[in-house]
Amino acid sequence: MTLIETQNLWKTYTMGAEKVHALSGVTLKIEKGEYVAIMGPSGSGKSTLMNLIGCLDTATQGEYILNGRAVSKMNDDELANIRNREIGFVFQTFNLLARATALHNVELPLIYNGSGSQDRVAKAQQALSRVELADRMLHKPSELSGGQRQRVAVARALVNDPSILLADEPTGNLDSKTSVEIMKLFDELHRQGNTIIVVTHERDIANHAHRVISILDGKIATDVIVPREQRNGVN
Amino acid sequence: MIAVSLLKIAIQALWANKLRTGLTLLGVIIGVTSVMTIISALEGMMGAVEAQLDRLGPSTFIATTMGGVITSDDQWHEMLKRKPIDIDYADDIEDGCELCEKVCPRSFNSASVKYGGEKLRDVFVMGSTYNLVDIVDFEVDHGRFHSREDDIYRRQVVFIGETVRETLFSGVDALGKSIRLDGKKYTVVGVAKKMGSMFGQDRDKYVVIPLSASLKQFGKPRRNSNFVIKARSVEELDEAMDQARIVLRSLRHVPYNKPDDFVLLTADAVLDQLNAVARIFRMGLVGISSISLVVGGIVVMDIMMVSVSERTREIGIRKSVGARQKHILLQFLFEALLTTLTGGLIGIVLGYIAAESLVSMIDMEIEPSMFGMIAGLSISTGIGVIFGIYPAMKAARLDPIKALSYE
Repeated sequence: MTLIETQNLWKTYTMGAEKVHALSGVTLKIEKGEYVAIMGPSGSGKSTLMNLIGCLDTATQGEYILNGRAVSKMNDDELANIRNREIGFVFQTFNLLARATALHNVELPLIYNGSGSQDRVAKAQQALSRVELADRMLHKPSELSGGQRQRVAVARALVNDPSILLADEPTGNLDSKTSVEIMKLFDELHRQGNTIIVVTHERDIANHAHRVISILDGKIATDVIVPREQRNGVN
Repeated sequence: MIAVSLLKIAIQALWANKLRTGLTLLGVIIGVTSVMTIISALEGMMGAVEAQLDRLGPSTFIATTMGGVITSDDQWHEMLKRKPIDIDYADDIEDGCELCEKVCPRSFNSASVKYGGEKLRDVFVMGSTYNLVDIVDFEVDHGRFHSREDDIYRRQVVFIGETVRETLFSGVDALGKSIRLDGKKYTVVGVAKKMGSMFGQDRDKYVVIPLSASLKQFGKPRRNSNFVIKARSVEELDEAMDQARIVLRSLRHVPYNKPDDFVLLTADAVLDQLNAVARIFRMGLVGISSISLVVGGIVVMDIMMVSVSERTREIGIRKSVGARQKHILLQFLFEALLTTLTGGLIGIVLGYIAAESLVSMIDMEIEPSMFGMIAGLSISTGIGVIFGIYPAMKAARLDPIKALSYE
């Protein structure tokens, strides 16, 4: 089943008199259950592509169909709704609310779809257990290690059962040991049937995925399946 | 459901920034307090004056030479030169004004009052016919007002105000005792209920004696006299006043082409004039005090703007997990409203306390006014919405990508 389908996506920024094309016609398809890495140097357009896939932004031109729905024509509120139900973000800088407990951070997506508070707490506890943080639920981010923070972010991304887990440099702020730990978690989540897209510039991280899409100058340069023997991790 | 969660988020955010919340509150409190002080004091004063005028019933009017709104010195001098109201006209008014049910002539003098070793100077002495008590709401504490017989037989009886009783008869029953009014002996027949003071004036330092006795002792009043007249009904008040006016004009020989040289006052007319003056006061004072309210509002807006830009990243995070514009808008608007409503409530209470101590300086008391409270609450809600909406909209419209990468 096709989860993501883009047709000739363009994203153009106007800087003064100049027009900058961050993306120049990206066409790709990602199936449900895939584990995809998007690679590219900085300025290549990979972050722009992630923002479009994550419905944080809309394309200047082109079509984007997510889970059968045309996202490219949606307004702000419809996009918010899609982000809430279809997408779980994991950011390089964790992006947790500093003053809130791990539990409240994980509850956040559920607040905005109107879940009742009992339901929210139950689901958030479950998600935190999945990332093995059941004993840290009432800790604030400042009381957690980097790896633990990122696991809270993963739990938050998972809590609403999204179609895609979208991770932007998820290990960028972590040491190598913790990075391995987090990537293991992704591998495990993929094994459980989640569709995962990881944006990274590190070959090591990308090699956890089954498919690597390289972006250069706003275009897809290569799109290859990683042979099983070259893959990192358990998959 | 979502609104409740957003309200909780707003409360937590305010709680987390106690100092900032406190300072914002202070701005609102100062603004609301200053406006509420003025509103409460004016309301209270008008209420007290109204209650005072209520003693004059709705179908009653007073015929006198001076009164109403005086707008110029000339008018003042003209009034001073007017012939006094001749109390002998009472019968003529009763005859000529068929809609006038009761006519009560009154004279006013001043005397010193003595009982035993106690003496009180400058006591207001009102001479009136017995029917005054049927027209004006004189509250008798104990004893009675003088009677028709007292009037006819020119008895030396006296009805005394609370201050007089307190000074002359502390610890002693006044009824039946003889006091001396400028040396003349009068028997106390009744004591009035306390009225308290107003605008620094003791309203209980008076005595009432029969008009006949007053005429005998003080002579015919040269200046200080008037009529209290009760019309048959409220509906017939205007007509009764017209009839009384015709009688008085003819008795006082006012040429047909000249204006009245006397005034007929009703409680309503007095109240209307007072209200007109109070309105100007209110507009002026509320206008001036509103400046601090605007300043309070600007404080709210300022702090909200800082708060929004400081929490840009938080807004980005919330948006990335699916918060819609209206969710962010409500969250910040709730913060503004919670602040201004709390500040408003405190301001209403402080304003009331301030107003109370203000009017107590002129010997008055006020009661909490419903109008004041509703005004205070709507003012503070208004400030919250007006000054909170722009920062909240700014927050709601933030671009999630820019907000997330905000340092």
